[in-house]
Amino acid sequence: MGQLFAVEIIYRGVFQKTLAKNITRGIVLAAHNEGKLGISFGRYGDSPERNGIPAKSFAIVASDAQTLEAGMAQYEPKQVDVTVVLDDTLCKGAESWAWYGLHPVHQALKPGGTLIVDSLQDAPTLLKGIHRRQEPYKLGIVKGVTSFSGMWVYKDDHTDVRILGAIAKALPAVVSLASIEKFINEKLKNPLKATSAHTTFERFTSMNVKPGEGNAEEPFSFQLPKWNNMRKGVSVNGQPQGGPYADPVTKEVGGFRPVRNDKFKKYSTRTMRPVVNFETCTKCTLCWLNCPDASFDVTPDGKYDANLEACCGCGICEAVCPVPNCITMVAETAFDGNASQWEAFRKDKAAYKEWLKATVQPAGERSHGFRYRGQYKEQIPAVLEIAEKG
Amino acid sequence: MATIALPVEEKKKYEQEALITGAEAIAVACKLANVDVVTAYPIRPYDTVMQYISQLKADGEMDCEYIVAEGEHSQFEIVKHASVCGARVFCGSSGVGWMYAMEALTVTPALRVPMVAMVGNRALDDPGAFGVEHNDALAVRDLGWLLNWVDSAQEALDTALIAYRVAEDPRMFVPCAISCDGAFLTHSQALVNIPTQEQVKQFLPPYKRGDLLLHPDNVISVAPQVNEDWVMEVRRQNYEVTERACGVIREVYADFERIFGRKYGNPFFEEYMTEDAEVVLLGMGTLSTPTRVAIRKMREQGKKVGFVRLRWFRPFAGVELAKCLERFKAIGVIDRDFSFGSPNLSGVVATEVRSAMYTGAATRPPVLGFICGLGGREVLVQDVEHMTDITFQAAKGKAQPLTQWIGLRG
Amino acid sequence: MSTFVEEKPTQKLESFKGVKKVPHEEYYTSGHRTCQGCESAQIMKLMAKAAGPRTIVLGSTGCMYVANTSYYATPWGVPWMHTQLGSSGSAALGAAAAFRAQMRKGAMKDEPINVIAFCGDGGGADMGLGAISATMTHPDYNLLILMYDNESYANTDIQISGTSPYGVNTSFSTPGKVKRIMHHRWKKNMAPLMLVGHPTCKYVGTISTSYPLQAMNSVRKALSIGGPTFIHCLNPCPKGWDFDPVLSFELGELAVNTGIWPLYEVENGVLKLYGKTEKIANGQFKRLPVRDYLLKQGRFAHFIDEDIEYFQSKIDEMWNKWLVPGIIPLRREIEADEPR
Repeated sequence: MGQLFAVEIIYRGVFQKTLAKNITRGIVLAAHNEGKLGISFGRYGDSPERNGIPAKSFAIVASDAQTLEAGMAQYEPKQVDVTVVLDDTLCKGAESWAWYGLHPVHQALKPGGTLIVDSLQDAPTLLKGIHRRQEPYKLGIVKGVTSFSGMWVYKDDHTDVRILGAIAKALPAVVSLASIEKFINEKLKNPLKATSAHTTFERFTSMNVKPGEGNAEEPFSFQLPKWNNMRKGVSVNGQPQGGPYADPVTKEVGGFRPVRNDKFKKYSTRTMRPVVNFETCTKCTLCWLNCPDASFDVTPDGKYDANLEACCGCGICEAVCPVPNCITMVAETAFDGNASQWEAFRKDKAAYKEWLKATVQPAGERSHGFRYRGQYKEQIPAVLEIAEKG
Repeated sequence: MATIALPVEEKKKYEQEALITGAEAIAVACKLANVDVVTAYPIRPYDTVMQYISQLKADGEMDCEYIVAEGEHSQFEIVKHASVCGARVFCGSSGVGWMYAMEALTVTPALRVPMVAMVGNRALDDPGAFGVEHNDALAVRDLGWLLNWVDSAQEALDTALIAYRVAEDPRMFVPCAISCDGAFLTHSQALVNIPTQEQVKQFLPPYKRGDLLLHPDNVISVAPQVNEDWVMEVRRQNYEVTERACGVIREVYADFERIFGRKYGNPFFEEYMTEDAEVVLLGMGTLSTPTRVAIRKMREQGKKVGFVRLRWFRPFAGVELAKCLERFKAIGVIDRDFSFGSPNLSGVVATEVRSAMYTGAATRPPVLGFICGLGGREVLVQDVEHMTDITFQAAKGKAQPLTQWIGLRG
Repeated sequence: MSTFVEEKPTQKLESFKGVKKVPHEEYYTSGHRTCQGCESAQIMKLMAKAAGPRTIVLGSTGCMYVANTSYYATPWGVPWMHTQLGSSGSAALGAAAAFRAQMRKGAMKDEPINVIAFCGDGGGADMGLGAISATMTHPDYNLLILMYDNESYANTDIQISGTSPYGVNTSFSTPGKVKRIMHHRWKKNMAPLMLVGHPTCKYVGTISTSYPLQAMNSVRKALSIGGPTFIHCLNPCPKGWDFDPVLSFELGELAVNTGIWPLYEVENGVLKLYGKTEKIANGQFKRLPVRDYLLKQGRFAHFIDEDIEYFQSKIDEMWNKWLVPGIIPLRREIEADEPR
């Protein structure tokens, strides 16, 4: 048995589909320059992808054909040498299309393996989200604006080659920088991208994460029932009806909270969350009525509180809210947990007001961007600048 | 005869004796079973059953929703959903019509839909042909359908009632197809004893879908999309049903005999003059008629030959059949179907019988395959004699081709 | 006057008078695995809310099956069942027939139960068209077919359907080095097709999730009027149309304001335009240029000016040349030919 390596890319469905594919293909083609063999594939169970819903793609690289076959003799690598997280909001865990429960991003990472995150945050901030585990691992950050694009328009902001550069630094045994530069110059025919890869390689560092370090939350899981415990006729129980609930302060019961599916929560799909200013809310119902995920609770005092386990962060509530800055979408990295904003507001209005000030930046124009305001083709130069300067 | 003649006092139990076709006999069974929803679409030869049902409705004899669909796919999808919503349903088709409905046929077993369908066996296009061939009904043989062949109008009526009882048994909840040979059964009339409504009430309880019922009082989601985590478990549930099938069918036939007084003996296959037989022929459907005639003729010539008519193809009573067949010196299987490229290029039944014998029989008598009577070609008495002679040759140890076409020009 | 049509009473669902009157109960809650900002999921929610608890829903294959109701992750609070891609019409018919027979025979409590079958544009305008058409001719079964239209086979990763707009980029019509426009067919005009072809059908409506109150009231009318009914809903698809999910609502409005998606209902043969569409028709509102709508979507990113102009000219034709502007493609010229 020769050398066998597996790299896993965790990314946002659709928004980063092409990016992830480019990276895993890049790994295989670059490693091939060193005479290694490999395959690149997206997780079949994640396809067809849905906007924002976490997905995975893999690159398996081996020193020879038989070793590669050994690596391919499974649905997907159960253990990987490097895990790349293409959107730092995924650090809180990924609940994909194809499995049940919330999986820590390092679930498949070998002890001592490297977790690479594309982010503008620093390691301590990211570790607030990344679940703790028993085995040590390395954490490295590729500093940059998360790269999102759509189904048909790919935003070539060099994120693909910068990740390749980081991988070469983290695990040169998989692929060397030289091979990556060769691949970029010969296949992508873009010297500037070669420079990006090189710069990232030089800058990339990683820190050791000790056992037990990180987010203490127990990720929710789901036990698959045995065949004879499953309902007959391919049927499952539907959702029961919800009802009113109590105000944490006055204990007055009212409003309406729908029962929500406890097997699929969808919040790991969220890259931005709605932040509600309950004092300016006019109870117009529009956020509640137009939410495709029924994620708004009607509070006992007749306002609307986004349930952050059900909310997937589409931002429609912000779009339909008639009151300026009453609902604002804020990047998910600014938050821990999914606690109710309305309950926090009810418990301490002054503190909530302060928190709003600190959290909500005045909302600028948000166009074809998905993740940060106003990010698209025209923003690429700016994005590249961060890439270059770091 | 398919059934044992009834003593006079038994006959008294019956409301009347009628001269009707096998298709009409099934229509009468639907009326007696108080079927709720029927969907029709024209195609020969099965559709005479639908013509008769529409008449029964028009005459006020049968109370059902009678829907003429715009194609077989819709025809079967309509009753599929009606059944899930608690209705007792009836449907049917023939030849390429049955194939046109294939998607709907495929999904019903996993959904546990106890629909009863009549297949008027017809050759598949192309060329277009009305004559009998069994490949249409056989197309569902691996999908979880119960599948049987009848050879008389009386058996058609009785089997339709039995089919509802078996399919709607909560231990089962799977669809059942009754196959009737085109022309010989669907279009020829015979005297049939029609049981009383009281007898049928006693035999066939109302269809109760329980917690699988799609109704506002039972909030369930049926057939959600699954990934690789679920499919095997779902299939295993249908496998469990097939494990139970033979037992349930035996119970139901015993009840049938008790209530209607008509004896079918072994539900799965019928033996004719096999007691002292050296070789037997085996087949399904109406080819039993020329076969029985030929056998009586050959018996007069001292040839010890018998006949085994397979009734239930799914479930396939393999062990029982192997135990029955192991005592003969050779077996000639008559297939009114083809299975191109199969082992030994035999027909479907021959292949299944060999497989059953391999595991279930103590001896290894030669099992010869005969392809015969395709596309409605009549199976002649001399054809049967010919097949018997070949089978005797094999019994004598003279090697014979494992598959032969009988009644073919040139 | 003798008739052999045996109509059964429907539920009487009064229109919601204003958003404040919309009930809190959800019969389609969270748990679905659809995209961020999925308007097709939104119409499922509105549809179920409008129909209420005494309802069963049958859903044909598509996004609202595969993404919507995966094992144990069902969002449905009313009974729901999958039906095959081409079977929404048959599914509704079968359910309605089953209830009717059992209620008549006393095997089931006699009450009006809403039967709704939904399909996507692939299931409705393509594969299932025949079955829906047949169903629309049955006068005695009360049912609603709701077609959610995201203008592609979105579930299978965006391929051309019978309702995909001209020139659109899909995974079956990706622009190439030589051909920029791989899809040159015009969108199928489904609601009028149902309307004109099926005199039995008492209610046909077009709706948009950007007008949720009207959408829900359209569903309530369709369920109350009796017999088979049809609703066509346009659902902006952030994935396939390629826009930021935050724009889902706005895209729905733009489709109406550009005149691309006319809003109307036909109740017992009487046509009524509503919302901006009505204002466009009576000249109170000037249609916005289709450019405003097209350029917000990545699926049209390959369009050059002449493509946009062609698109605009087809929309202008709808409004300026058609006998029933925006709805029925009979030319005004025909009037001149009519014998006076």
